[in-house]
Amino acid sequence: MTRLSGGLIDRSKPLNFTFNGKSYRGFEGDTLASALLANGVQLMGRSFKYHRPRGVVAAGSEEPNAMVELRTGARQEPNTRATMAELYDGLSARSQNHMGPLNRDLLAVNDLMSPFFAAGFYYKTFMWPKAFWEKLYEPAIRKAAGLGSLSMLPDPDQYDKGFLHCDLLIVGAGAAGLAAALTAGRAGAEVILADEDFSLGGRLTMESDTLDEAEAAAWIASVKAELESLPNVRIMTRTTVFGVYDHGIFGAVERVADHLKEPGAKVRQTLWRITAKRAVLAAGATERHIPFADNDRPGVMMAGAMRAYANRWAASPVKRDGDAIAIFTNGDDGHRTAMDLIAKGANVLGVIDARAGAEALGDYKLFAGATVTGTKGRLGLTSIEITRNGTSEWHNVGALGVAGGWNPNVHLASHHRGRPVWDDRLLAFVPSADGPKGLIPAGAAAGKGGTAEALADGMRAAIEALSEIDVTASEIALPKAENAASDQAAFWHVPGDKRAWVDFQNDVTVKDIALAHKENMKPVEHLKRWTTLGMATDQGKTSNISALAVMAELTGKSIPETGTTIFRPPYTGVSLSVLGGGDTGNNFRPSRLTPTHHWAEKLGAEFVEVGQWMRAQYFPRQGETHWRQAVDREVLAVRAGVGICDVTTLGKVDVQGADAGEFLNRVYANMMGTLAVGKVRYGLMLREDGHLYDDGTCARLFEDHYVVTTTTANAGLVYRQMEFFHQCVWPELDVQLISTTDAWAQIAVAGPKSRELLSRIVDEFDISNEGFPFMGCAALTICGGLRARLFRISFSGELAYEVAVPARYGQALMERLMQEGADLGVTPYGTEALGVLRIEKGHAAGAELNGQTTAQMLGLGKMVSMKKDSVGAVMSRRGGLAEDKRRLVGLKPIDGQQQIMAGSHLFTRGTAQETGTDQGWVTSSCYSPHLKSYIALGYLEEGDTRIGEQITAANPLEGKTLMAEVVSAHFVDPEGGRLRD
Amino acid sequence: MIDYATNAVTDLTPITALGGTVARSESFGALSLSENAGLGLASLSLRKSAEKGQEAPQVFGLPLPGVGKATAMGAYGAFWTGRDQWMIEAQGKGEVDFAAMLKSEAPDCSVTEQTDGFVAFEIASANGAGPLEALMAKLVNLDPKAFGPGQVTRTGLEHMTVFLIRRAEDRLAVIGMRTLAGSLWHALSVAARRLEA
Amino acid sequence: MLIPHPLLGLRDSQEFTYLGDANLMHRPDPAAENAEAAFCEYVFLRDNPAGVHRELWFHEQGDRSWLVVTRDTTTHEILGAELASDVKLGAAQ
Repeated sequence: MTRLSGGLIDRSKPLNFTFNGKSYRGFEGDTLASALLANGVQLMGRSFKYHRPRGVVAAGSEEPNAMVELRTGARQEPNTRATMAELYDGLSARSQNHMGPLNRDLLAVNDLMSPFFAAGFYYKTFMWPKAFWEKLYEPAIRKAAGLGSLSMLPDPDQYDKGFLHCDLLIVGAGAAGLAAALTAGRAGAEVILADEDFSLGGRLTMESDTLDEAEAAAWIASVKAELESLPNVRIMTRTTVFGVYDHGIFGAVERVADHLKEPGAKVRQTLWRITAKRAVLAAGATERHIPFADNDRPGVMMAGAMRAYANRWAASPVKRDGDAIAIFTNGDDGHRTAMDLIAKGANVLGVIDARAGAEALGDYKLFAGATVTGTKGRLGLTSIEITRNGTSEWHNVGALGVAGGWNPNVHLASHHRGRPVWDDRLLAFVPSADGPKGLIPAGAAAGKGGTAEALADGMRAAIEALSEIDVTASEIALPKAENAASDQAAFWHVPGDKRAWVDFQNDVTVKDIALAHKENMKPVEHLKRWTTLGMATDQGKTSNISALAVMAELTGKSIPETGTTIFRPPYTGVSLSVLGGGDTGNNFRPSRLTPTHHWAEKLGAEFVEVGQWMRAQYFPRQGETHWRQAVDREVLAVRAGVGICDVTTLGKVDVQGADAGEFLNRVYANMMGTLAVGKVRYGLMLREDGHLYDDGTCARLFEDHYVVTTTTANAGLVYRQMEFFHQCVWPELDVQLISTTDAWAQIAVAGPKSRELLSRIVDEFDISNEGFPFMGCAALTICGGLRARLFRISFSGELAYEVAVPARYGQALMERLMQEGADLGVTPYGTEALGVLRIEKGHAAGAELNGQTTAQMLGLGKMVSMKKDSVGAVMSRRGGLAEDKRRLVGLKPIDGQQQIMAGSHLFTRGTAQETGTDQGWVTSSCYSPHLKSYIALGYLEEGDTRIGEQITAANPLEGKTLMAEVVSAHFVDPEGGRLRD
Repeated sequence: MIDYATNAVTDLTPITALGGTVARSESFGALSLSENAGLGLASLSLRKSAEKGQEAPQVFGLPLPGVGKATAMGAYGAFWTGRDQWMIEAQGKGEVDFAAMLKSEAPDCSVTEQTDGFVAFEIASANGAGPLEALMAKLVNLDPKAFGPGQVTRTGLEHMTVFLIRRAEDRLAVIGMRTLAGSLWHALSVAARRLEA
Repeated sequence: MLIPHPLLGLRDSQEFTYLGDANLMHRPDPAAENAEAAFCEYVFLRDNPAGVHRELWFHEQGDRSWLVVTRDTTTHEILGAELASDVKLGAAQ
């Protein structure tokens, strides 16, 4: 144990956990990283490429090394940063990216082969032979590289999403964030304060600074209490704001139950879409490294992280109590770590400061003008080489803190192409003024990292942000604080021949950058891709600026001249589960149920998804072992008797107004204004480019009241299109449009006995052929007074009707029709039979109206009225379309038991099957129980003149061809007598 | 002429949007969720000729509300759905031809029957606005603070389009497409249940 | 994005369906002599400016109004939004 005194852990709440199967104990308030350190565990994983032993280097979300596999079974979670994993009782974690035990990784051989893995090695090595990539190289690389592994089991947890709105979003709850929240909260603004940490305070919890001459924790607690008492403030801990989107929209993930062993009834994580009028970016700063030879051994970490572990978690970075700790720094900040460690009773060897004129802050040994030039220790640091004025000596140490300066967390400020600007005094990039509108950086994120200045800057930012939205906020009394000394030298790395790591996560060294430079990959964008620097899951939070500095040195330019890296969302990794947000399986998307759905379900129907709809596909009966048996039976029942089918899914739009007829004349290709009241007409809609768009019926219920139907698939689109013409093109017309698709349950009653069946349910209505002829419509009552609409229309080619009742009565009507029609052999039919019936009749559906076809091709060219203008009319007459000679035909295979596949292409018998000789294609195909043969519909060049010809239908996908005879598309009742009788 | 406005005398038995013979309701902590199967709905649109200078008519004594507003008086209510367009509500008129009743109130307007175009779920909180607003935050991208009593809006909810009416601080109606009733109930009940956890 | 709806105020763009160039409101005269050429242009040719663009958005999950939104395509800044029917009727007067 290397637990120190103090800290913000609850020693009364011990927690047991395992790492690589070994049991350890930590406390509530620990992270996995702090608990491991406190147990003397430095070695936490292996590096990505070279499988070098690695330990934790940071204390926050920027951690590049300590990535573990958390949990077991279906909840196994790879690549979890040990610094962000809150300890809970029973936590189980494993290191990753090694073969065999962590301390004897077989793939460590990669390290010996490192000369082959230099910058650009993927591009250089695996290029040849080309065929080897997929079969050999990629699988091998994936197996060796992949970091953590997935359980391959479905995620058992629930994820959620939500929407929040506020005046001011504050990202980060450190000194600046808390000051901003208090300022805005007291002003009455709606405030959201979000922080990725599980407690408030940010860096204040990790420093030894006092506020109002007391521990910072006391001030944090009082601010927390006040903010919690304000109804206008929402505190969101464990919440990472990961992206800034247009107009003040932010993406955030709240880890609701990641800190629990199992979420129970809770959701695991919530994806929040936050709309904020203004935002304060108080995301703090991230410490950077100073690359030197062999700087990646476990035990070498950021000095600020070392300080954080000591102060907040009472965890010492060394393996054994009493092991010496050294600090390597280029500025004043490293000295703070030495002071804090000494205060905790740690054995501090001294501070190695690259500045020749450095001064000690306290009683410890100072190596001024010195650098660290080497390290030893196979699985953990044992000694370091300190070089001063050309003289080197080795010192035994168990840990080394490295302080290379702090980079403001500019990430969110650069999400809208905001390019950070270089600050020569801070030696860092700070957010520029051209970042996302309404996002105001404050505190360390704005380069104001001293405690006193961060507090003041947070308050200033809140007042400024609120004044922009006309909320007056007053200054608050800030606690008394100081700004620590922050002098720093522009010292970026220790030159040398050995490997010095810049990007730990992707194993990129100073040498790699030098090689990239030599190979002319100098622009920072090229450098990134050639070396993979900054392209790991940490997005180079700890490495980008060091790399830029090295490249600047090599090119002889300044850092800002060399470039800057901007960041994309997400700030830290976001799980796909939470982005998927919510429902899975059947509830993954909403489904629309027809009014007779439950009845069909009871009858044992098979359902098919049609867009959002669930439709009955067919109704198998006992003894039927193949779907075709059911479908054939249903089709024959309609042709011979009567069938009933729920057709509610067809879109219905109510069109009213004095100009309703004129409007419909313009949106339909054929004339609708002349339709008599009480009549229905088949209608074609074109796109403005002259192609077919949709078809349906148009019924005139009253002088100024029509109901039009659309295809199921296009219901929403046609309604949208009608609104477009109504509002954007002809707003002067008196027309009112509204969808009524769901309001009416519509049931098709089809077959020669349909009239007989309907006559048994209508109330005193003349349903005779004379009284209610083909293409009639009427409002009437049925079943003893229920209002209904009756349409005499037919999709099957038989005598047929559609009857509509308010949706709540749809199921009862269906049941009544079944009951009343029992002696007529009434048969429910589904979408399969519907399809067969319409193909037999040669009626067009989606496959024929596929966006590439015209009215002429359907044989309905004359429906495009010449007497009036309508959408698409002008363009339908243009050369390319008017001359198109392809026509809809029926196709009957010579061997009727062979199926013509839809999508097959048609060729004149004996010609080559090439694009140039293509004669058309098959649109729809089915088995016709009526003809006892497979049949199909298709478009064929000059099809109307080729009836009787035998042609080839080719299905090159399956390498099949068959011969078919060209016939009329109307396989059944071509004269149309049946539907008029 | 058929007198649609009287109670239907049909012997067909209606079902609710969720497929039951009685309306469904369920409680989740402070929130209760009830299917309002008795709500009659009809849309009302002004004709073009009526726009100039003529005021929107009163129906059932209700003045037609302005943009984004809902009003109610006794069994009747009206809410704005678009420019010159409203939905009129009538409690307990789910099974009569409410559109015909409305048409006789506003003969110069376009009226369309909508009762069964929609399903109405009434959500009530036993603990003030808090639970209701927490539920809204999980479901719709609206600022509850700017959506007080008497406000109505139409928006997306789990890929479905719904009307929301804030009937009171602690009461919210969610009116969605009838054929999506099951999915909408699922979305509302899952969100309500999660608030309990 | 947030669209400043002229009646309803700021609404999230998720409620809208995008169509494109607002010139689609200016359907050519079908009776004109060069109608086919004019329609070809209308149907197939669009400007695609990097900068300020007037475009049509449909408030499909809202009040079903079509809007003419003026937007800078390079910054997503929205400079205004009007009801399309008002724009069209205004232009006709």
